[in-house]
Amino acid sequence: MIEVNERIEVPSAPRTVWSVLSDPHEVVGCVPGAALGAEQEDGSFDATLTVKFGPAKVAFRARVALELDPAAMSGRVLARGKDDKGGTRIRSNLTFRVEERAEPAGSVVPIEAQVEIGGKLASLVEGGAALVVKRMTREFTERLAARCAAAAA
Amino acid sequence: MKVYQRLAANFKAEGVTHMFGIMGDANMYWMHELDKLGGVKMLEVRHEGAGLGMADGWARATRSVGVATTTCGPGVSQLATAFLTASRAESPIVAFCGEHPTNDQEYNQRLDQARFAAGCEAGFVRLNTPDDADDAVRKAFYMARMESRPVMLSAPMDVQQKTFEDDDEPYKPSSTLIPPRAVRPDPEALRQAADIVAGAKQPVIIVGRGARWSGAGEAVLRLAKRTGALVATTLMAKTWLSEDEYHVGVAGTYGTRTAMRLFEETDCVIAVGASMNRYTIEHGYLFPKARYVQIDSKPHVVMAGGRSADCYVQADARAGVEGLDTLLEERSFRNVGYRTPDVRKQLAGQYEDRKEFPLDPGTVDPREVIRVLEETVPTSISLFTGSGATAGFSNIMFTRQRPLVLPSHFFGCIGQMMPAAMGAVVATGNKPAMLVDGDASVMMHLAEFETMVRYDVPLLIVVMNNEALGSEYYKLHAHDMKSELATIPTPDLGAVARAFGGRGRLARNAEDVRAAAAEWIAKPGPMMIDARISRSVVTLPYRRIHYGEDE
Repeated sequence: MIEVNERIEVPSAPRTVWSVLSDPHEVVGCVPGAALGAEQEDGSFDATLTVKFGPAKVAFRARVALELDPAAMSGRVLARGKDDKGGTRIRSNLTFRVEERAEPAGSVVPIEAQVEIGGKLASLVEGGAALVVKRMTREFTERLAARCAAAAA
Repeated sequence: MKVYQRLAANFKAEGVTHMFGIMGDANMYWMHELDKLGGVKMLEVRHEGAGLGMADGWARATRSVGVATTTCGPGVSQLATAFLTASRAESPIVAFCGEHPTNDQEYNQRLDQARFAAGCEAGFVRLNTPDDADDAVRKAFYMARMESRPVMLSAPMDVQQKTFEDDDEPYKPSSTLIPPRAVRPDPEALRQAADIVAGAKQPVIIVGRGARWSGAGEAVLRLAKRTGALVATTLMAKTWLSEDEYHVGVAGTYGTRTAMRLFEETDCVIAVGASMNRYTIEHGYLFPKARYVQIDSKPHVVMAGGRSADCYVQADARAGVEGLDTLLEERSFRNVGYRTPDVRKQLAGQYEDRKEFPLDPGTVDPREVIRVLEETVPTSISLFTGSGATAGFSNIMFTRQRPLVLPSHFFGCIGQMMPAAMGAVVATGNKPAMLVDGDASVMMHLAEFETMVRYDVPLLIVVMNNEALGSEYYKLHAHDMKSELATIPTPDLGAVARAFGGRGRLARNAEDVRAAAAEWIAKPGPMMIDARISRSVVTLPYRRIHYGEDE
């Protein structure tokens, strides 16, 4: 189990950040290697995610469900996926909240996530997977900030 | 004639010339008889498991049956790890083991050797009666050869002492039972394989040790040129066929990043004498777009991930590749594939690892040790690489072809490669060779250095000494745990080697390593270089596995 516990700082107003984070298309655009597919009847989405564990690339097919609370500007993202090569499973449960930051003006987004990787790859990637997730989180932060800046402009 | 005398004569008739082990009262009479018969050299070792390990090295180097021997009970139980290692290596071995007397079930050294052998994945043949003496030996050698595995021939002490009646009958060795034919490919299977290969734009040929054993080299190179294929090897065939300018080294975790990038576009993998296990194809992730053609002499092989090749051709590797190439030639098939100047440019620097690490004081960069050895030790010298963390340097960075290049790996254990290297050197007529292994590995069977000295085995042991259980050290570090828990200091192993009567040097920098290697090359003999390497330098595989680095 990989635990993510981050506070992302974004130099944009909370409403702007929320507008990006509450739009599945926008959010997926912030995740490196991810692409959004069709929306299902229950409101969840198909998605694909390609992750590099070391030099090895793994392509996951995932189902992503978003639960949003616009009043509290918080949400939960549930994702389950597997790949068709080596039988690797991934399951992630992520919660976030958009808060106002006073100095300098902007937003803080606390993110908590549990990512589970199972199957054959699990033993192969060992501790490396946690660092890969960390790196993805960092890139997510950068992309989110860029998208918020674009949305505000 | 006593049964043990017949058994000894039968071993000789099987063509045995060397054996490794320790004498005890349950194999003593048999050994004494072999000595009397002459022509079989007994190498007395310091641990039965190491003796079996040497027989394993013999088998891996020559593909002929290696022979080990132990007394009953405690002599046998020492064989566990070596049996398992040999079983995973598919090494043909016969271990002649004494067994406690059948008429004394309270015997101090009693052991249920059949159950022990089963647990160790070894074949088992018991000498139940005096009349079994011929059948038992023949069966043990037959099993070892045909099933390519270690076999325990268990001979109860009392049965050995009984009279063998038919001593005027000549013994028929196992070779009289074994057909010499190679497996020919099924034409239909070969046609299917040719269809797949002819439809591929970017093929890769992966050769394993089966291809090497069958002498498929030239045929593989021809097929690679015709199909535009890259040539890669399994770890077990490391450096083989590297004269090909589109050789990409090992496929798997010990591969280069350049190779892995190229494999992403591979649409057809032709596996030759390679099991295609999880390490070679990284559970299938290494070749995401490929269809597989597999040529192997076994009836069938299931690849990693529980999948079958898209076309499996049961054939001797050479016969299979030649057949495939002929079919493609008949179709006038030619493909440029990967064989372009651009790919050759990419491959030029594929083994370079420029990442800088600050070195611990008084130590040398382990990569520098390998570079120096690669440069200074002539290619006429065979190479054995050990297991554990430091294999991550040697299994990638040694790239020159040598008469034998045998990596460790089997059963994932440490300590087994030093005996195997000794056995392989003995098997190849005491030709000088080099073993590069970690400190924990070498310390495990250090006593066998004395065996090396006693028999003047010209093996250079280069200890990649990080004074740690390296794998655990790096794993603990990656998990933010106390990595010092995996550190263990060693004495100066150069001095230890000298105390054992051999030669030895302590090396703390590249020049020390170069000078010590030159000393050995000038006069090969039993020698150990204790190369103190810096723990700060992390192997490429660990950077990938533990830190997710794309290097």
